[in-house]
Amino acid sequence: MRGENLALGATGLAAFLALGEAVPRLGLVKEAYFPPTSRIAGALGDELADSAFWTALGDTLTGWAIGLAIAVGAGIAAGVLLSVVPHLRAATASTIEFLRPIPSVALIPLAVLLYGTELRSVLLLVVYASFWQILVQVLYGVQDVDPVAEETARSYGLGTWARVRHVLWPTALPYVMTGVRLAAAVALILAVTAELVIGAPGLGARIAVAQTSQAVPEMYALIVVTGVLGLLINVGARTVERRALAWHQSVRGEVAV
Amino acid sequence: MRRLFAGLAAGTFLLATAACGSSDDSGSSGGSSSSGGVTTVKLGLIPIVDVAPVYLGVQKGFYEKHGLKLSITTAQGGAAIVPGVVSSQFQFGFSNMTSLMVAQSNSVPVQAVSNGIASTGVQGKDFGAITVKKGSTLESAKDLEGKKVAINTLKNINETAVRESVRKAGGDPDKVNFVELAFDQMPAALDNGQIDAAMVVEPALATVKSQGGVEIASPLVDVAPNLTVAMYFTSTQYAQQHPDVVKKFQEATAESLAYADSHPDEVRAVVTTYTKIPASVLDQVTLPKWPAEANRSSIEALEKLGEQDGLFKATPDLDKLLP
Repeated sequence: MRGENLALGATGLAAFLALGEAVPRLGLVKEAYFPPTSRIAGALGDELADSAFWTALGDTLTGWAIGLAIAVGAGIAAGVLLSVVPHLRAATASTIEFLRPIPSVALIPLAVLLYGTELRSVLLLVVYASFWQILVQVLYGVQDVDPVAEETARSYGLGTWARVRHVLWPTALPYVMTGVRLAAAVALILAVTAELVIGAPGLGARIAVAQTSQAVPEMYALIVVTGVLGLLINVGARTVERRALAWHQSVRGEVAV
Repeated sequence: MRRLFAGLAAGTFLLATAACGSSDDSGSSGGSSSSGGVTTVKLGLIPIVDVAPVYLGVQKGFYEKHGLKLSITTAQGGAAIVPGVVSSQFQFGFSNMTSLMVAQSNSVPVQAVSNGIASTGVQGKDFGAITVKKGSTLESAKDLEGKKVAINTLKNINETAVRESVRKAGGDPDKVNFVELAFDQMPAALDNGQIDAAMVVEPALATVKSQGGVEIASPLVDVAPNLTVAMYFTSTQYAQQHPDVVKKFQEATAESLAYADSHPDEVRAVVTTYTKIPASVLDQVTLPKWPAEANRSSIEALEKLGEQDGLFKATPDLDKLLP
């Protein structure tokens, strides 16, 4: 089954690449603006041989990883706190719903004013965008706690911290993992966007330089890299999720009985 | 579980930093630092052909000779540079003259210190031009009335210049339909007929020409002969507190500009180190002029036109703005 999926996936990708080669070759779009796959692949090869490319990749991944780590930590902490402290959830609900839909990109002028073109302005956008993904999932997860399990834990005299640890956290975990997976993708999007628009060092800035330099195949090659990066991050996040949830279900079985 | 999270986060971070290194070596301190008689200053600029003399000056050791270590930070647009200089994330920045005058008329404390670039001053052979598609019926700037003309930023130096070209050709600039478009997107938009004409600069100008596009006017030449298009600047506060550093920067930059102006081949070589302009395009690029000093009368002409077009809240004070 898994092998079949892989084969189908590879066929789909091959067909897509062939289409990318054929469309400009047939003259449907101009080669100058949309180079065929083979030329993009050539430019990608040149990029991979350039040490500046790896530095840029490192910068992007650094921004992504630090931003995601801060967002996950802060999102989980804030989510649990909001749920545990009485009335806090209700008091903050409207504020959260107001702040959450603000597009991170709209904060670019603020980021530039505060931090210029440094890594910190990338982090501001990345953390802002991915924090809400985590927080909202944690809040939903906490709502899902089985009242019977909660009451049972209370009856056995479990304190607040013990109930968070043994009842709330295992219930919320599937939601949290979904949040982390979504946040990982959002964080990458925002990291590249910030670099592209602000010019902070990284893949995005390199795309912008290629664009202003009229180096079209190089630009597409770098865009392909960001796509592959997104793919790898998604695969990684799913693997982590699967492992975490396998562990969770076995424990939850014991809690419920 | 928490350990797994922490491990994962730390792991990815270490992997990312160890495998690829980081280019953020400039540190996060805002001020300039000096050690052993060498002052480190941050210069914010856009990675385009215009700033080649600075890269060349660093390569040739002109800045080092004057006791400066230049840390170049690139930004994606001028919009990030002016706030960066004013809030002292950079000590120096690169900006076009109209933006500097607009900033000054809005009481933003900026002070131009060194010349940046000048137009070539030669009609039809400048680094920027109004171009039309091959076979277009538009022949002069006057024909742009009622047409869609792309410029990179509305209400800035290029709009002023195109309006002046139209005016000089006997047309009414108010009848021109200006649209905003990034330089790099102009060749395709022109080719597809989405716009009728484009005020385009190098290297996109070379692309337009390679597609058979035709120049119909040189707006930067029309504004004034040998127009000073852009300059390096600092904040008034920094200029007052560190006149010695500013002086060193001015001397080193003047030397770099003069060197670049007389060594076009080395300019083309250094441009490949910080842009990705393909060699075939770079050979066709018309380089700007890099005089060591700014041309004040040309800036006055630009100011007058800008005022006529209503760009300034208050008349910019050139005595204060210029070095």
